[in-house]
Amino acid sequence: MTTAVPPYEGALPYDGSPLAPALVAARTKSLVLRFIWTSTAFLAIAGTLGLILRLNQGNVIAIDDNLWYAMMTAHGLGAFVAWAGFFLMGISFWVLLKCGFPLRTFVFAEATFWTMVIGTLGIVVTTLLAGFGGSWVFLYPIAFNSAGQWGDATTGVFSASVLFAGLSILAYCVAVLHTVISPAQQAEKDTFGQRLGLAFGFGFLSPSRFRTRRGKTPYPVLPLSVNALDMFLATLPFALLLVFQIIQSIDNDFSIDDVVAGNLLWAFGHPVVYLLLFPAAATYYYLIPRYAKRELVAGRAVAVAWLIALFMNVLVWAHHLYLQYPQDSTAQQTLNTIMQPTTYALVLPSALSLFSIAATIYRSDFEWNVASKFLVVGILSWLVAGLQGIVNATAYWQETIHNTMWIAGHLHNMAFLNMGMLIFGAMYAFLPELTGRRMYSERLGNIHLWGTVIGGYGWVTFQMIQGLMGAPRRWANWDLLDDSLITLTHVTLGFLVILVLAQLVFAYNLYKTLRSSPFEQAREVPAS
Amino acid sequence: MVILYMIFVVLGVAIFAFVFVSTRRGRAEGGQGAPVEKLERFEPIWGLFVVLLLGVLLAFTIWRAPWFQDQDGDQQVSIEGIQFGFLVQPTSVTTGTPVTFTVRSRDVNHSVGLYDPDEKLILNIEALPGNFQKRTYTFTKPGTYAIRCLEFCGYQHHKMVYPTFQVTES
Repeated sequence: MTTAVPPYEGALPYDGSPLAPALVAARTKSLVLRFIWTSTAFLAIAGTLGLILRLNQGNVIAIDDNLWYAMMTAHGLGAFVAWAGFFLMGISFWVLLKCGFPLRTFVFAEATFWTMVIGTLGIVVTTLLAGFGGSWVFLYPIAFNSAGQWGDATTGVFSASVLFAGLSILAYCVAVLHTVISPAQQAEKDTFGQRLGLAFGFGFLSPSRFRTRRGKTPYPVLPLSVNALDMFLATLPFALLLVFQIIQSIDNDFSIDDVVAGNLLWAFGHPVVYLLLFPAAATYYYLIPRYAKRELVAGRAVAVAWLIALFMNVLVWAHHLYLQYPQDSTAQQTLNTIMQPTTYALVLPSALSLFSIAATIYRSDFEWNVASKFLVVGILSWLVAGLQGIVNATAYWQETIHNTMWIAGHLHNMAFLNMGMLIFGAMYAFLPELTGRRMYSERLGNIHLWGTVIGGYGWVTFQMIQGLMGAPRRWANWDLLDDSLITLTHVTLGFLVILVLAQLVFAYNLYKTLRSSPFEQAREVPAS
Repeated sequence: MVILYMIFVVLGVAIFAFVFVSTRRGRAEGGQGAPVEKLERFEPIWGLFVVLLLGVLLAFTIWRAPWFQDQDGDQQVSIEGIQFGFLVQPTSVTTGTPVTFTVRSRDVNHSVGLYDPDEKLILNIEALPGNFQKRTYTFTKPGTYAIRCLEFCGYQHHKMVYPTFQVTES
């Protein structure tokens, strides 16, 4: 076999692909870079808040109780949505372009960016300055029962800010759907139905009815399409809840049923995990074959799995309500029972994606560099955290882990050590072509990698152990509990120091990269 | 639960380690030695295997979900959550006879996390405003149990503890 030579300096290996229009590519580059830098700045803020939270739990510092909960609220929303979600929304525009699906208009993508920035700033102000500390899920009616810590006006502004973040997600979904259901599908019969079918993988299931001159739809398009449609549907009930909260903040006589509110919240609160995971899957689908120097090893089953995800993703919310089975509500109990198999169904896209990725790497001439190593760690974390997800999806096991540090550990394992590692990997992979500069130091990249792996896994593992010991989640301190929890928190702080140092190394590497001289780039950016 | 989880983690990581190590051989073969077609054919089999495993797990666990459990014990305990404390009545029960906890909240969502004398979390019952839940449990171990709020309920959430729920020998 002849190894494909990158067609231009800064290109990924095996990146011999057709070209996108230079103007669109240049504008997409600038947009995606804005997403990258802004979300990374949000990571710095959210990460610092996370460290402060942990220092307080370890009794190293002592901060006001409500300030701690306000920081917790900002940390949750900031790290999950304003960093990981925001980054992955931005990078998926680049992945789409590289797959031959350039944005057809920049209006929705720009709206995605600015509404998220406004929403995040509103969240920062209402939490850190005005003291809103209802947690990032703000289980109704807590936003209106603050025990004197914040007022209804703050709740109204906070809800409006989160609504802006929701609008950002809606705009993103429209941007992606508008892009994938486009002439770029190259359907032989160029109708809306054909484009729609191809975007959701019907070309793999019924190749004779859904024909494309491309041969087949690029695999990264599938999770991005599924995510866009599902998140559009899932964000609407959440937006309704936020509007209700805004109304109640103005008119105190208005209220809603708390069980209904819980369902509206989780109709969004669970699928939002996939706002991160599905674009991450798309990025793995795009990048791994390039490092393995072969196409993704996948067939029809993965397309079936993404179709299952399309329907199940919006039908699994109530597994967050397993422990809510009010005595007079058989409807909620029936719903909870249905949720276990439907949640299990969502294991399929992950299991088949991991299979495809493993099969693609197996006995390939894989290029091991900083970017691909970050991706590989992310894939392993997908497996490990995915297995934790099955534990969490099992109602019987929920009673001994729900709202313990096990859940916090799982969340960080999935969000930081899977999606986060993918984000770092994508930065090392894409930044050279986005900035026109080679990464300053591979050695510093490796230090960043190992510091993040050791620090990250040390921190998360001990969080999960604390959870198995019964340590409650969302407690400002554990003074009333066993001393061993504080001791374990000190252990996690050691790992967090390693993690923080690794990120500082990364920041230095980035700084030196951006200060270096640009290399000669191709005038046009390839799209496969 | 933990053992089962650990077995699958070790198994999964071992398989991936094998895959990563195989790239050494892949490099020597110029990436041409992998049985790609065979792997593609195995994809649906793998999918069915995963469905089967999850089906077995579902069959063994769903009937043990808390809402399917018997909710009528001979001993009754009422617990009400209020920001930031619990009203518990009565405050002691005996071992060997089922105890039904009726849990409610007067303001926001709370949760009754019941910890045994060894600090092990044994029950987790949500307290909902405007509604109530029941959960029955038979104690086997006498001693002092603690009730802690596990659903975030406000700025004194971590102080919402009832430390002296007594279980005596019957």
